[in-house]
Amino acid sequence: MNVEFDGVEIGPIAGKARVKRSGGRELSPGLLCVVINLPTLVFLALVLAYPIVFAGYLSFHKVAVGNLRSGVYPFIGFENFRRIFADPLFLISLENTLIFTFVAVGTEIVLAVAIALLMSYSTIWTSRVLKMLVLLPFAVPPIANGLIWTFIYSFNFGFLNRVLLSLGLISTPINWIGNPNSALYLLALPYVWRSLPFAILLVHAALQDLNPALYEAAALDGATAWGRFRYITLPLLKPVIVVILVLRTSTAMTVFEEVLAITHGGPGDATWTAAWYSYRQSFAPPFDIGIGSASAYVLGVIIAICAIVYVKLIYRKIG
Amino acid sequence: MRPSFTARLAIHACNSLVIVFFLLPIAAALIGSLQSDKSLEVNTHAVFPQNWTLDNYRVFLHASVEGNRTFAGQAAYLPEAIKMTHYALANSAIIAISVTVLTLVCGSLSALAIARLRMPWLIWLMNLNVFARFIPVIVLVIPLYVTFRHLGLLNSLSGVTIAETGLLLPFSILILVPYFESVPTEIENAARIDGCSRFGAFMRVTLPLSMPILISYGAIIFIAAWNELLIPLVLNNSNGSITLPVLMANLVGNVNVFYGLMMAICILAMAPSVILAIALQKFVVRGLTLGALAG
Repeated sequence: MNVEFDGVEIGPIAGKARVKRSGGRELSPGLLCVVINLPTLVFLALVLAYPIVFAGYLSFHKVAVGNLRSGVYPFIGFENFRRIFADPLFLISLENTLIFTFVAVGTEIVLAVAIALLMSYSTIWTSRVLKMLVLLPFAVPPIANGLIWTFIYSFNFGFLNRVLLSLGLISTPINWIGNPNSALYLLALPYVWRSLPFAILLVHAALQDLNPALYEAAALDGATAWGRFRYITLPLLKPVIVVILVLRTSTAMTVFEEVLAITHGGPGDATWTAAWYSYRQSFAPPFDIGIGSASAYVLGVIIAICAIVYVKLIYRKIG
Repeated sequence: MRPSFTARLAIHACNSLVIVFFLLPIAAALIGSLQSDKSLEVNTHAVFPQNWTLDNYRVFLHASVEGNRTFAGQAAYLPEAIKMTHYALANSAIIAISVTVLTLVCGSLSALAIARLRMPWLIWLMNLNVFARFIPVIVLVIPLYVTFRHLGLLNSLSGVTIAETGLLLPFSILILVPYFESVPTEIENAARIDGCSRFGAFMRVTLPLSMPILISYGAIIFIAAWNELLIPLVLNNSNGSITLPVLMANLVGNVNVFYGLMMAICILAMAPSVILAIALQKFVVRGLTLGALAG
């Protein structure tokens, strides 16, 4: 190849040069693009696009056990949606999901900012220990976390009661998740434990990017520690906090493993959440996939609305 | 700026509280797993047992209670799922490794196309990936159940592998695209002038340069696939194709609760992902923060 080039023009020339190889002609960019995206497109079509459409189809049809066997799903219009919105259990599940999300995400963000600040003191050895441990909950399988907390919360054999009794903080064991008024909040604790690392790491990464000169200037002006946090750190952390808010709201709304392991929705209906409702309607009596799909779709739409509202709010703030 | 003495003391105190909170569930699981349920019943006030034992772990690893003194005469009360522990371990490992490899291969191919070839329809693919992170798994898994039922993919390892790969792909593409974009094109172009094809230049130049990100994201995918419950719970709930999280979910609601055994399984189930996360801590932290900020 006798292409004359100097250093500056390597890029453009190389981009246009037809390189002959012994293996034959090279694919055009357009075709190459389709070919190497083929596996991904197949996966996305099969596991994302098709199920979303099919879930919509299922939620407008009757899909009970008999229908699954015969493969015939009669069209019933909005009947599934009418039934779930007439079902008090579904409405309670939605309400529980919203309360759970509010409590869990709120706690998560407050704790994440606090712990990330603690972690940033690299001259203090306990902060370095904390930094080493922070990834631990991320790696623990959510279902293992759930089972562990059944042991922690257990009335008779539970770890929490043992610790508190040994320390003399309580005199009789407490039935932690037996109380319908507090069960949902106690369910949020294991969830927060498991999802904290992600939020902490994001805040921590953002803290590293802050300019130390700002703090020195503030210190010279006599700002208190709280003042520095309130008027420098917090405003600068706002973008990352919004990212956490958006991402964690969508995951907290689909909480499933902890409900399955710790409460099974109980006591009564105190901890039924939306994902748990869809799962139970589909794969436990009454085994109605149509109802399950319809209720899951409602949850999906609520999450989409939350995400859009957040994004709109962020863009307005930035604009 | 070094904090004052009192400030340091306060920070130490707060740190200790957080460390206790982080370690509490792990400590509970360890202490619970190292004693028999009898010792849990005998004294319901003590944190530590009088006699330590590894019998709970033995039941799990042998998949039976034969010759196990702690469980003498209790074989009939044990949950059925315990007999499937070997299958569960093997299935979980096979699925997690296949999902990791498949996701990395497909994800880096697509990310390469998006980062380098810049076809208009790829922007659309990128937006689809951002949208995909907000779709709850429960919405997808119900129709997948119906579809896989028709296709005969229920209770097969390949079905779960396909489903999990599809769900993790959008995240991996979102992470890999900005990374590939940050690798300078000059080196690839030089390789192309030397006679490499477009694809060959990527394989020989950009891919080796991207090893750190591939390792960090590989670890995250492995952990996500190893920990996944809902997809295999719905698609793979029969004995032969059961995964470890599904086995654990089946322990719930059993009339006879064996806390010691349950905690031992929790410890063993978390061991691979925890060890991986700690061994590759720097990589995983980087991958997680990159992943959240992409898109």
